[in-house]
Amino acid sequence: MASAGSGDEKAAAAAMITLISSDNEKFEVTEATATLSQTIRHMIEDGCTDGGVPLPNVTSKILARVIEYCKKHATAAAGEEGSSSSFSDAAFLEVDRAFLEELEEFDDAFLEVDRATLFDLILAANYLDIKGLLNLTCQKVADSVKGKTPEQIREMYNIVNDLTPEEEAEIRRETQWAFE
Amino acid sequence: METFCKAGIISLRSLAIHPRNLFSLIFRVLPKLLCHCTGLLLKKFGEEGRVHPPSVGTSLGRMPELPQDILMDIFSTLEIPDLVRVGSVCSAWRSAYNTLRDNEQYKRSQTPCLLYTSESAGENVVCLYSLGEKRTYKLTLPEPPIRSRFLIGSSHGWLVTVDDRSEMHLVNPITGEQITLPSVITIEHVNSIVDKSGVVRKYELSYHTARQMVYKPSDPEHVKLHVKPTFDKFEVVRKYEPTERMVYYEPAVFAVDELRERLHYKAFVFPETSKGSYIVVLIHNPLNQLSFARAGDGKWTWLPPYTEYEDCSYKNGLLYAITIVGEIHAFDLSGPVITRKMIMGMMEDVIPDNIYIVHAPWGDLLNVWRVVDNEDATVDPAVHLLSTIEIKVNKVDTTAKRLEELKCFHDHVLFLGHNQSLCLSAKDHPHLKANHAYFTDNNKLYTRGYKNGRRDIGVFNLESNNRDKLLSPQPWSNWPTPMWITLSLAKLKMK
Repeated sequence: MASAGSGDEKAAAAAMITLISSDNEKFEVTEATATLSQTIRHMIEDGCTDGGVPLPNVTSKILARVIEYCKKHATAAAGEEGSSSSFSDAAFLEVDRAFLEELEEFDDAFLEVDRATLFDLILAANYLDIKGLLNLTCQKVADSVKGKTPEQIREMYNIVNDLTPEEEAEIRRETQWAFE
Repeated sequence: METFCKAGIISLRSLAIHPRNLFSLIFRVLPKLLCHCTGLLLKKFGEEGRVHPPSVGTSLGRMPELPQDILMDIFSTLEIPDLVRVGSVCSAWRSAYNTLRDNEQYKRSQTPCLLYTSESAGENVVCLYSLGEKRTYKLTLPEPPIRSRFLIGSSHGWLVTVDDRSEMHLVNPITGEQITLPSVITIEHVNSIVDKSGVVRKYELSYHTARQMVYKPSDPEHVKLHVKPTFDKFEVVRKYEPTERMVYYEPAVFAVDELRERLHYKAFVFPETSKGSYIVVLIHNPLNQLSFARAGDGKWTWLPPYTEYEDCSYKNGLLYAITIVGEIHAFDLSGPVITRKMIMGMMEDVIPDNIYIVHAPWGDLLNVWRVVDNEDATVDPAVHLLSTIEIKVNKVDTTAKRLEELKCFHDHVLFLGHNQSLCLSAKDHPHLKANHAYFTDNNKLYTRGYKNGRRDIGVFNLESNNRDKLLSPQPWSNWPTPMWITLSLAKLKMK
């Protein structure tokens, strides 16, 4: 990205991309926000974003949340880059810490969603190839299953136990210790 | 078409790894394909539902299913007990678990558990205390009963045990896999004494080293047998000091279950990743010498001539061994000729009670020493009290061949005792206290008659030199030796 205040960046910031959800809703975002998605970044590089980017497997509800995440993280990334050259080391660290704290708070609040939405966000992050969002949402699922029994996990995520009695017996035989 | 090819190449690799993930491939490729089409065409395709993949976020009250590679990413951050449980939620989750287990892609840097036994849990049961969950798991192990064995080491999820015939096994408490190690009589210093029917009745332990001859006045032939030639295949790096102990001991005879009290000290299992094999290294008497056996070996191979080894580690194909006076030797066991390099000479003016060698994650080689106080020597030996009062971490400067006290421990954690010594980052193990050493004892006093002595187990603050209890009241039996273990689901393929 170009350095802060240059004409290039203003031009880049002004470049808007239209994202089209599966239910045909259009979202206008800056290129900086959109390119947090590697999938969209490649499409921009390939020059096929004219007329909007159709995202036929992301609903407007989920896309709105994804854009919210990307906006915040794109701003933070731009802020960090801009600050690196104009502050002393100590001041830079201070700014850096403030950014990180703010981002962490944002991420925590962002994850306050129901479990179906959490899974949808994972699928969208995977499809759009947004590494930060994918890590964040996957970590949330990992944290949520820690110390839980399989029954509790099934209930939590509304999962049907489709294991055969043979598989169940094998699991009990091999790893009974983990279930006591 | 060019776009399609590029996307295709990116995703084919993941498709090959996770064939179930075809949908994910379609998801990634489709928009690139479609961007060449008009919006109208897209709408038409969408409406006809031919190539339109299922939408994210359209499920009504139904949970969307996560693809296998995502499930594997999520599961690969879990500790083994959690991993085992998520693996039994449903068939899709089980499949992800099986792939991680079989390909050893789960979290390898597991938080160590304290392994111990207790009278109430049963003779075949080991207890694993999880520092993260602050709870205990109980696992039943194969015969012979674990409480009848001596526990002499733990590395990479494997426990090294000695049974009541002084023979050794590897056992993985999690998988239940058990491997019999080469017989104790193939160790350089051990001979069997058999009765008429060929049954081993006793063992004879010779006290020789490569730097000592053994004198047995009653049997001149025996002397010849035990005088070892010069080991010219070893690179000579130091002239032997004339101060070498010149005491000659006669070989001693022990009952089959008694030898283990005299012979075995500490053992390690080191996977040789390049070969899919493993090496077991044993520190044994007389005088804490080294022997090793590789997977498939029928016998132990002696590593003379040095003595007084206390701890071992393994990195980049080299076996590192440290002596009680701080000498560090690196052995290359990979070729037909074993070579040894002196990494570090003797420490000056310090002989700690225990010494450990650890490869820190940030690259340094660490020499850790520990000073143990004998709290009250006058009390009943049955409740003999040992107490760690100092743990010092030194960086080994391998170029200048000297030690530097390590002032900053970079928020790391040590695990010391009878286990393979570990240095872990507290960041990767949020339940552990940074700049602390989690310790159990590995004092020889316990194997030589103080089996009921209170174990020296706790958490040591490396900054303030204070110690804390790990658990109170102690749930473990004092014998067999409690020790740290890093759980593993890996199978040792070669036997």
